[in-house]
Amino acid sequence: MTSMPTKPEPKVRPEVGRRNFLKSAAVAGAASTIPGAATAAEKAAPDARLTRGAPPPSAAQMELEASSTSDGADQLAQANSEQLAVGLGPEDKPSFGSDFMIDVMKSLDLNYVFSNPGSSFLGLHESIVTYGGNEKPEFITCMHEESAAAMANGYYKAALKPAAIMCHGTVGLQHAAMNLYNAWCDRVPLVTILGNNADANGRLGATTWRHSAQDPAAMVRDFTKWDDQPMSLQAFADSFVRGWKFATTPPMEPIAIVADADLQTMEVEDRASLTIPRYTPSEPPQGERGALKETAKLLVNAETPLIIADRAARTPEGLRLLVELAELLNAPVVDLASRQNMPTNHYLNQTRQSGRLIPRADVILGLEVTDFWGQVNSINRGNMTAQPRTKEGVKLITISVNDLYMKSNYQDFQRYAPVDISISGDAQASLPALIEEVKEAIDRSRRRELADRADGFRKDHAASYEESRLLAARGWNSSPVSTGRMCMELYEKIKDEDWALVSVGASERFVSSWPHRLWNFDEHYRYLGIGAGGGVGYGLPAAVGAGLANKKLGRFSVNIQCDGDFMYANGALWTAAHHRIPLLTVMHNNRAYAQETMLVQGTANNRKRGVDKSHIGTVIQDPNIDYAKLAEGMGVWSAGPIEDPDELGPALAEAVQVVKSGYPALVDVVTQMR
Amino acid sequence: MKTKLFSSIVMSFSLLGGISAFAQDSTGDADRGRETFMRVGCYQCHGDDGKGNDAGTALTPDPLPPEALANFIRFSPGRMPMYPEEVVSDAEIEDIVAYLESVPPPPHADDIAILKDLKPGS
Repeated sequence: MTSMPTKPEPKVRPEVGRRNFLKSAAVAGAASTIPGAATAAEKAAPDARLTRGAPPPSAAQMELEASSTSDGADQLAQANSEQLAVGLGPEDKPSFGSDFMIDVMKSLDLNYVFSNPGSSFLGLHESIVTYGGNEKPEFITCMHEESAAAMANGYYKAALKPAAIMCHGTVGLQHAAMNLYNAWCDRVPLVTILGNNADANGRLGATTWRHSAQDPAAMVRDFTKWDDQPMSLQAFADSFVRGWKFATTPPMEPIAIVADADLQTMEVEDRASLTIPRYTPSEPPQGERGALKETAKLLVNAETPLIIADRAARTPEGLRLLVELAELLNAPVVDLASRQNMPTNHYLNQTRQSGRLIPRADVILGLEVTDFWGQVNSINRGNMTAQPRTKEGVKLITISVNDLYMKSNYQDFQRYAPVDISISGDAQASLPALIEEVKEAIDRSRRRELADRADGFRKDHAASYEESRLLAARGWNSSPVSTGRMCMELYEKIKDEDWALVSVGASERFVSSWPHRLWNFDEHYRYLGIGAGGGVGYGLPAAVGAGLANKKLGRFSVNIQCDGDFMYANGALWTAAHHRIPLLTVMHNNRAYAQETMLVQGTANNRKRGVDKSHIGTVIQDPNIDYAKLAEGMGVWSAGPIEDPDELGPALAEAVQVVKSGYPALVDVVTQMR
Repeated sequence: MKTKLFSSIVMSFSLLGGISAFAQDSTGDADRGRETFMRVGCYQCHGDDGKGNDAGTALTPDPLPPEALANFIRFSPGRMPMYPEEVVSDAEIEDIVAYLESVPPPPHADDIAILKDLKPGS
């Protein structure tokens, strides 16, 4: 971490940036053919040479500069950037603005930048790979900015450390937007670096104009926590560190920083005059102690308390604290599992019993539940009416940072939920104080009474598990393969590894929730939740990002991949192959957008029009997609399509060995719808 | 068990609704039934062989009699879409039940090596 005394103004020479250099050089080149221009050219030439490391432009560059076409201008920009790179190496002292930007990133221990190359951040790109040695950050080549954003999302949830994405101006950001929204809904911090040419006078051609914006971050402002467009290197450093801090303070969210092209390419004359502010993480907000005390009293005195957790456990410590609270009270927990909040093998994990427990509860505590209203109300989708699921007199309590999550336009904040106690604070940060208050409120006789609840929950937990075990046998020999068999054959092959189910796409219900019914999710990292915004195209790239994190952590990454989601962002497989990311992807290939197939069918039925045409636009057939071939074409080991369930086990066994040797693998399984 | 609850609900509907156009014993055609089962999309929620999953309850083994099934799908009160006669006729329901009856029962979990010794925490 770098810490230097603050100095007022950096000494930089923006006037000798790339574009001014080009103008000068172009004039020099033109001078040889334009009579009378030699004097001007001679005057311009010395200035051009001030740009260290940049040799004079080639004849081809001169020709391109003289061209009025946008294509020519863009090629010129490309060619010139390559020229600028010549002669630089890691041993050189920082010379350019983008080098300093890398210093800022290194100060934050930023490991990865997920990106697809673009001309608005050529300076940064070159600095990452040359000046920075392609380490901290390393450039991870993505085939789509949407993939880049999902990879950064998955990476954070596995590593518990932010990554960055780098987007090329207007077009790159538009590509990234969907998975930025998923990250926003998922409370995931990531840094979006936007290349942009703010100075219109310096834009070389039509494409550069199209790829520039006056306010580039505006497009994602509704679903980023903060953004800035710093216009000096010192401001860039301050904003980057400030943004990092904002992003990682609950409610954690993505932020965006514009890296202006001129800032990237300007020569830095006096690096020592630039300072990188010290980063000090903000302690997450804790709920007010009096309200926590009141909550503790209600919980201790409740006869049928219930805890609902969604993103309560930000880290493994959050899971440990939730277990401690639940055990103190012998209160059942319904884990909505946007993070792994409660071990599935714990007798108080009663998630499968939520339909019975919620109506019975006299106190319900919601911990970082995004849609608390949806938990305590039931919706009849037939006539679109809602009614409370809770009994009369129930006390509803929430602890969350949802009230600090303030944006107006996009409606992820969900329906307003009236509650009895609303505690604004990070749930994990508030749990230690709540636990203390609970301990304080329990006397000896009450402790015995609470302990008496345990047996009933142990029996219910065991019975629920046994029911799932028996149900998994149904369709065991079916072809297409049942989701139960697919998931359990998979578990059989990975359960002795230090596994992590890094993605199941938009919903685990797409595979009938078999993993959480029968796998042993005993650690926080075993599950990373879903694509929270419901935007398709999250699953595979998020898994690749998580796989990258788990590679260093020695974990075995597994991705259950829906076919529709796969086709949005399958280039992420190439990224996995290229960067040697070990990841086992098992295709849930039901050859349909299954949820939509059912919904269109239901609509047609309700209108009494028959369902014969419900498959139009909802199935992925004729032709069937061969995902194994797709994977093979991108350098990924693959097997399938597997229709015979007896072939699944051997294929998975082989795939596991491939992944253990450090490579990605894909097994395509033709499955039942759910 | 979910299946037992489902059966109870359906039988209640049968008693209330009372459709009597069905034969005492299923007279449907299993092959036609499978074709209808797939065509009208039953398989999407209930699985190709009616095994059931998170989206739809199990229809096999021991499928409901045609009359009870018709009563349920004609007046479905829950999230399952209604299947009026214009979409699935009574005769087609008989075929579907014949198909479901023809589906061999699944193996027991204890007869499957992967599932046999499975318990919480394993």
